[in-house]
Amino acid sequence: MSAALEKTLPPAQDRVFDEVLLSVEDISLSFGGVKALNGVSFDIRKGEVRAIIGPNGAGKSSMLNVINGFYHPNAGSITYKGTKRPKMRPDQSAKQGIARTFQNIALFRGMTTLDNIMTGRNTKMRRNFLWQALHWGPAKAEEIEHRAVVEKVIDFLEIQAIRKTPVGRLPYGLQKRVELGRALAAEPDLLLLDEPMAGMNSEEKEDMCRFILDVNDEFGTTIALIEHDMSVVMDISDRVVVLDYGRKIGDGTPDDIRGNQEVIDAYLGVSHD
Amino acid sequence: MEFLHAITVEPIMGIAEDYIFFGEVVISGLLTGVMYSLVALGFVLIFKASGVFNFAQGIMVLFAALTLVGLIDFGIPIWLAMLLTMGVMVALAFVIEYLILRHLVNQPDIILFMSTIGLAFFLEGFGELIWGANVKALNIGIPEISMDVGGMLLNSFDIIAAAIGASLVAVLAIFFQFTPMGRALRAVADDHQAALSIGIPLKTIWVTVWSVAGIVALVAGVMWGAKSGVQFSLSLIAFKALPVLILGGLTSVPGAIIGGLIIGVGEKVAEVYWGPAVGGAIENWFAYMLAMVFLFFRPQGLFGERIIERV
Repeated sequence: MSAALEKTLPPAQDRVFDEVLLSVEDISLSFGGVKALNGVSFDIRKGEVRAIIGPNGAGKSSMLNVINGFYHPNAGSITYKGTKRPKMRPDQSAKQGIARTFQNIALFRGMTTLDNIMTGRNTKMRRNFLWQALHWGPAKAEEIEHRAVVEKVIDFLEIQAIRKTPVGRLPYGLQKRVELGRALAAEPDLLLLDEPMAGMNSEEKEDMCRFILDVNDEFGTTIALIEHDMSVVMDISDRVVVLDYGRKIGDGTPDDIRGNQEVIDAYLGVSHD
Repeated sequence: MEFLHAITVEPIMGIAEDYIFFGEVVISGLLTGVMYSLVALGFVLIFKASGVFNFAQGIMVLFAALTLVGLIDFGIPIWLAMLLTMGVMVALAFVIEYLILRHLVNQPDIILFMSTIGLAFFLEGFGELIWGANVKALNIGIPEISMDVGGMLLNSFDIIAAAIGASLVAVLAIFFQFTPMGRALRAVADDHQAALSIGIPLKTIWVTVWSVAGIVALVAGVMWGAKSGVQFSLSLIAFKALPVLILGGLTSVPGAIIGGLIIGVGEKVAEVYWGPAVGGAIENWFAYMLAMVFLFFRPQGLFGERIIERV
């Protein structure tokens, strides 16, 4: 990608990740007769940028939905922060520090940028809602504290100018950025990004890459992302897992993946004669 | 010509001649308006938290009033009967979440809307099955005497009812506009899936909001029931709430209040001053006509959120 990007990335060999944050083992998921995922296993290590790639319909988004609890796998197990996780609802996984963005932006369109990002603080709010209703005492102090975090996120993403704009009115690239902001406001341990750069022009893509790397760098947030743009994936990720028709066909560093014959076949198509 | 004269000049002369009477008309309109707001508020609450127009709101008003009267008939003291009915409405919210809403997460709004139609039929039948379909009087002990305020004759019941309604409305407005819980409710209304992903428990939100809507329905049922008896037609005041919603905007608590007041005053004033010229009964259709005019010029209502759609 760009020179600016390479500067923010320390040389690959200096980035070592030992501690496993989340691992999925033998995950299978089917919708009726369609097998979306078939015995997929991989892990995500603390502090890394992990890319999930694959052709359309490979099961990438399904995998993300399994991780954050929208889908419950038919078989297999998920271990998060060292404990095997039972069937979990998305709001529970959010409370445990998994935040995400969506392929088709899912923002609260009628609310302002500020309010949208503020909702990201939801899991961190402790006072019960009677206090909140009265907007009094401890709840008020808490609101101020949350607001400070949100301001930091807004500064970080350079979206001060649109803080009071209803997000429905913003251009696509900015909406993606606000959605990232909402996820960041939760101060997640694991950030799942579903095609964060889809539909962006090259300038917006570069901005987004920079934000992703900065998040990883400054806050140490572990990131798992789905992306179609290969040059982006190869540039920003530490390790890549490749899915095709619901199966895992490759797993390793970007260099490993580049040379993996099965991956090349999946992307370019191969004749079976 | 004569008709024009009757609907333009004569009302103004009438107002000028007897402004104390005009004051009485306006105030009684305001008091009725608060009661309309109360009913409209139930709709707004549920619409804000689930993006669903709750067709069953009117029936919930009737159901709450029927339950209250039924309990009082058992000889339970009024305050206890009130608390018990509140309990019933909260229980109803849990049942609705468990049996209906939970299964319809992320479905199109129209599906949720249809389910509330089903709910309306069920509650209507269920309420009458248990409590019977007779007209019942409801006396909750609010005095009903005429008072002289600055030369105007006002009914004490109307004033007390309006005061109760107004304070309830104020509390809810503050709750929605300025608290994190209110923000969570708005988030759920916008996008179920996104709300779940940031850790908002849909279940809690839905139960809360249906409970509050149930309690608002109870208050509306008590006020209207005490005024005109508890009977099936009580559920029809929900129709009066529709123009209020169109005026105020479906998503706005303050809108429900202002809308209710405008309709209340508008229809009373129109009835008194235009009634003679067009043969009366304006009160029955004035609200709907006003709503239609609004739909032409400001479909999102006075305070509703503009619908923004990018192409």
